[in-house]
Amino acid sequence: MPAGAPQTDDLGPWTEKVLPTTLSAVRQTEREVLGLLCDLGYDEDHLFAVRLALEEALVNAMKHGNGFDPERSVFVWYRASPERVEIRVADEGGGFDPDTVPDPTADENLERPCGRGIMLMRCYMDRVAFSPEGNEVSMVKHREP
Amino acid sequence: MAKPNEIVRVGEHEGVKLIRLGSGAIREEQEVEAIGRELLALTAEPGQRLVLSFLGIEYLTSLVLGKLIQVHKRLSESGGEIRLADIHPRIYEVFRITQLDKLFKVYDHEREALASFLSDAER
Repeated sequence: MPAGAPQTDDLGPWTEKVLPTTLSAVRQTEREVLGLLCDLGYDEDHLFAVRLALEEALVNAMKHGNGFDPERSVFVWYRASPERVEIRVADEGGGFDPDTVPDPTADENLERPCGRGIMLMRCYMDRVAFSPEGNEVSMVKHREP
Repeated sequence: MAKPNEIVRVGEHEGVKLIRLGSGAIREEQEVEAIGRELLALTAEPGQRLVLSFLGIEYLTSLVLGKLIQVHKRLSESGGEIRLADIHPRIYEVFRITQLDKLFKVYDHEREALASFLSDAER
């Protein structure tokens, strides 16, 4: 794996998945993560937020990271408690600098068809961080009382 | 107007095309591509006026937003326009966050969106 499995702490062990670069694998992973959050009692707003951020991260990894190369994989780790969920997604691409992605809300970029995924991840999750190499993103969402 | 299982259903009201989407979530790649393809096909005739109803749609991603922007640009170039209606509050929030609510005119109900085009035409 590109970055190694994350360390375990108070949230317990991570569930680890290696996905083929196919969009059907996105759906399956979403079902698993959302199923876990449903069991933990997360409400519809949280499920919507996590689903959106997870899908944007996975599609970015497959499309921009792996270039839809079927020989490359996407790596996912997730874990959750009733208080928060943590997700990490890594790809086998060369990485990117998120600071160079144009602001999609700038007037001159509003009509660009791409570039909103990272923004949505940042808006819907409480913490989003990219690895220095830019090929792994970690996200945290807290469940408010 | 529609076969119940179609992803995109198109009707017409006094020259304005009304598009409804299959209910649920727009998530499968084939669905996104089909919607984009069908919407772009509707832009082939210059100056088209389209109303897209999101009734029953509770989830979408930036892939769909990209398709809508393509349709918007194509229509703008030919003097047409697409207006949106019946957007679930959670999805409207996605439009608001990405500020696409500045690019698209959004109405609570499809009848209001249709009426807006007709009232524009009377001016």
